[in-house]
Amino acid sequence: MPARIKILQEVLAHYSSPMTLNYPSSVDPNKKYSSIPEGLRGVPERDEEKCIGCEACARVCSGMATKIFDNESEAKRLVQIFLFRCTFCQHCVDECPTEALKMSKKFEVATGSRDDPANYVDTTLDLLRCGNCGHTFYPRKYVDKSYELLMQKINPLVKDVVAADFKKVQDYCPSCRRAFAYKYDTHTKKHVWLEGP
Amino acid sequence: MEWLKTEVVPEGLEFKPLRENRVLVRVKPEDVDRLAERFVKKLGARLSHATGVDREQFGFDIVYVYDFSKVKNLVLVLEAHVDRDNPIIPSVGKVTWQAVWAEREIKEFLGVNVAGMPDPRHQFLPYEWPKNPETGLPSDPSLYMPATTGVSPTSENWKPVGIDPKTARSSLLPIGPYHPGVIEGQTVYVRVEGEHVVDADIKTGYHHRSIHRLIERRGYNKGVFVSERVCGICSAAHGLAYVTCAENLYDAEVPERAQYIRTLLVELNRVHSHILWIGVATDLIGWKTGFMITWGLRERVMDIIEAITGNRVNYGIWRLGGVSRDVSQELAMKARQTIPGLKEALTQLIPAVVDHPVVKARVVGVGPLTFAQAFDGGAVGPVARASNWKIDTRRDNPPHAMYDPSKISWDIVVDDHCDMLGRTLVRAKETFVSVGIVDQCLAYLEKTTGEIRDKPKTIEPGSEAVGLNEAPRGELFYYMRAGGTDVADYMMPEGKHNVQGSNLPQAVRIRTPSYRNNAIIPQMLIGSALADVPIVMGSTDQCLACTDRVEVINDKTEESYTLTWEELVRMSQKRWRS
Amino acid sequence: MVDVLFTAVTMLIMIPVALFAGILYVFLFRKLSARFQWRVGPVVRMYKDLAPLLGASRILQPLYDILKLFGKDTPVPDISRKTIFVASPYLAFLCAFLAIFFIPFPGVPLLSTMEESLVIASYLLIGAVMFTILGAASSGSPWGAIGARRDVEIFLIYELGFVVALFSVGLVARSLSLWEIATRPGLPMLILNPFAAVLLFLVIMGKLAIKPLDMAEAEAEIVAGPFTEYGGKYLGLFQLAKAFLFYDMVALFIALFLAPTLNSILWLPVYIIAVVVILFFITVMQVLHPRFQIAKGMSWYGRWVLVFGVLTAIMVLVLRFYWVV
Repeated sequence: MPARIKILQEVLAHYSSPMTLNYPSSVDPNKKYSSIPEGLRGVPERDEEKCIGCEACARVCSGMATKIFDNESEAKRLVQIFLFRCTFCQHCVDECPTEALKMSKKFEVATGSRDDPANYVDTTLDLLRCGNCGHTFYPRKYVDKSYELLMQKINPLVKDVVAADFKKVQDYCPSCRRAFAYKYDTHTKKHVWLEGP
Repeated sequence: MEWLKTEVVPEGLEFKPLRENRVLVRVKPEDVDRLAERFVKKLGARLSHATGVDREQFGFDIVYVYDFSKVKNLVLVLEAHVDRDNPIIPSVGKVTWQAVWAEREIKEFLGVNVAGMPDPRHQFLPYEWPKNPETGLPSDPSLYMPATTGVSPTSENWKPVGIDPKTARSSLLPIGPYHPGVIEGQTVYVRVEGEHVVDADIKTGYHHRSIHRLIERRGYNKGVFVSERVCGICSAAHGLAYVTCAENLYDAEVPERAQYIRTLLVELNRVHSHILWIGVATDLIGWKTGFMITWGLRERVMDIIEAITGNRVNYGIWRLGGVSRDVSQELAMKARQTIPGLKEALTQLIPAVVDHPVVKARVVGVGPLTFAQAFDGGAVGPVARASNWKIDTRRDNPPHAMYDPSKISWDIVVDDHCDMLGRTLVRAKETFVSVGIVDQCLAYLEKTTGEIRDKPKTIEPGSEAVGLNEAPRGELFYYMRAGGTDVADYMMPEGKHNVQGSNLPQAVRIRTPSYRNNAIIPQMLIGSALADVPIVMGSTDQCLACTDRVEVINDKTEESYTLTWEELVRMSQKRWRS
Repeated sequence: MVDVLFTAVTMLIMIPVALFAGILYVFLFRKLSARFQWRVGPVVRMYKDLAPLLGASRILQPLYDILKLFGKDTPVPDISRKTIFVASPYLAFLCAFLAIFFIPFPGVPLLSTMEESLVIASYLLIGAVMFTILGAASSGSPWGAIGARRDVEIFLIYELGFVVALFSVGLVARSLSLWEIATRPGLPMLILNPFAAVLLFLVIMGKLAIKPLDMAEAEAEIVAGPFTEYGGKYLGLFQLAKAFLFYDMVALFIALFLAPTLNSILWLPVYIIAVVVILFFITVMQVLHPRFQIAKGMSWYGRWVLVFGVLTAIMVLVLRFYWVV
């Protein structure tokens, strides 16, 4: 009997304040969500200014949701997260070199149809065109950022030669760079960079 | 090591120590059953799991992992190699019941001929597969009936699916695959006389999702997220076992703060899982109110978890070498302030639910499992601890988290009731122990700062590792073998390894605790009343989603056909008249 | 003649009243059990922004569930005894439905002025449960067989208590007509013979399958017990019979034990309060207990019914022969 009385007390404790909410009714906003903590892992958001189009997020995406689409004719790179596959694991946020990605607190992602644009998180970047063959290769921002990181960590003895060479190659795609390798001062068969110009 | 070579496995062909206390020993396939008899019967070891690796033209490697932790600090990985043309290996299942399910799996998926199996039926695939297309009957009739040789816990004439329903009527009851008392899909066939269960058999395999193959294709870093999603309730335990196993493939040094965060999350997971189980158990005995109020209490724990990791179920913080998110000092302080309220609510509610007189009437004396039965059958987790067997992976083979007894103090809860009441009490007391551990971890985290992640190093091709963890349901076992050897040895000169393909594992094997406990359910059911069947099944705290996860390595194509909606409706209407 | 006309008119009006009363009792039962379980339950006033989609109120939710069942496909298993299988829901519904005419409503006697209306009402209420058992046994499914067997075992115990409780009141009031019992002057039977009231309450728990005595419909063990093979309109008829049975048992309790409330229609508010109190106690019993196993349940139930039956009998002897009222 005492156990029944204790259970009755427990049961009546919440009689007028049930633990369930009025979701999806939004009449009383306090009763729609229980609590949304600060670190909630919702839909990933990308800062368009910071993204350099380096493809790191597409490579580490564990749900194969982030994909890169290059448009040759318009010279645009589309970095797209397909929210149907995103597992909200935060791997892309951890690996982004410019910290462009952030998990927002938005978790209500249901839409009415597959083609709804709200199902995708899109970022578009401009691609460079190769000066020689005319194909698109890397985004401008990616090349600039690589240059910046390279100049930060390079041995100061060879900094000027490498900087000059970089200015020569940055407008050419990787295949053309290989084809004109003999033009570079940093070519292994040239000793300019060891002895100076 | 000397002890190993002289007394334990003198037949060993090669001895190689792996990381931590694991040792790899290669033997000839013929010695396997003699060794099993020596390990289990004389030396008191436990078989953790038996599995096989398909090495294509090089044959099969059958791996047995024995846990010697009660005798010496050792986990023995025994490997036997069989050829592809004539793969035959003697059965360990006839020595100890612990290996029976593992051997059924090896036989059905790899095609290895395990000689002398006590139970040769399919484990995951349907009993009737493959069917002879002309007769419509199964092409291997031994798959229907258990072998008459060897030890069999069920009766000799047991035909689980060979019974005509018109003659069976109320004597053979299939509990499942769709049944309100069974949470996930499985079938327990019980033969009843009146209300008493005379015989029982269990069939799983409805949730097969080929998780092993998914991890093997994705690699180590992405595989963490797949392993988390094996089970929703014990997701943290799978994450920790996976990173323990992968970190044993290279010399990992996990920072101390990361270890505390890992322990914190695994213990929070245990608290929520045990509260969930108490709710589910009261629902199975028919008390929906107990279910609702205990799950209402569980929401408090989920709020703490969500504030720390960002998600309630899949934490996503497990990384090789540490964790990905730090618990800041303010967050740890805020979380620590909610713990006394949580403890008080638990102290009020859980004894009231467990000491209820009608609950006690349903639970005392139900589903008995003596110590001898638990030892032979290979029970793990609270089921074993309620039968007075003190095993806990956190003490015996600790995973890569902070379980050092000098830094965190906690007790193993053992009970000697040996029945359903014992399991309930073990889980209820473990909840309080885990809340204590959580408190200690938060106390450390709110006072210190530090690194949380270490950079991973290269994994040597061909290395093997075993990872063990104590999930809320028992011992969780992961086995990994790094790739990059087989193609290489065939093509490279002697002594050199081609590292192509070594970024992916060659084999990933998971054995969950429910796998073990499900094998003992038929033994527990015989002799009980029909009303007790769901609660006995629930007392092992089943997680069928964990149990069915094996890959299909055979590339035999079976005929596949899709049923249209009309066909499905017509099939179910065949038995009915509208 | 006017009498007959009045009775016929009141009987016709009583049909929707009893139906809606039964539905409202089921609604109140669900709402109270939800609130006890820290949930909200079916809402009386729907939230403003969802009202266009879901309607203004869900107070008739049990009725909507029954109507939904009538709109579904009705399967009949081919290994069942089809005639009994198909006839049982209709017969069970008929018994529960006819019983409403023999139990008085405040100020409205209906057919309870008949000499043996107490006996007729009790037979009809027994029949409502018996046809459920018959239908389950004829369905040819193992779940139905086990459910029917458990139902019969509980039935044996509570019918004994039912008979003792009813006839104890009849003996003290010296009449078998429910209208005479209900409009008897003097103290209500609740105060004179409280043991009989407790006994009838225990019987109500068994008849309406309130926990801890719902092992016939144990869903975790035997799918849906007697109702496993029923679907569509037959299941709808069974649920409708259960709604009417709810009304019948509560009205019978008030008619037997709270006599003054049925004197005239002006006592209706007191009637409603009595209904709410009875439903509150039923819900508390439902919420506080898990379900018993059949063997232990029978022994627990049998013990309490026996104790209160003996006490009731002693009290009847006292009231009849020593302290005559």
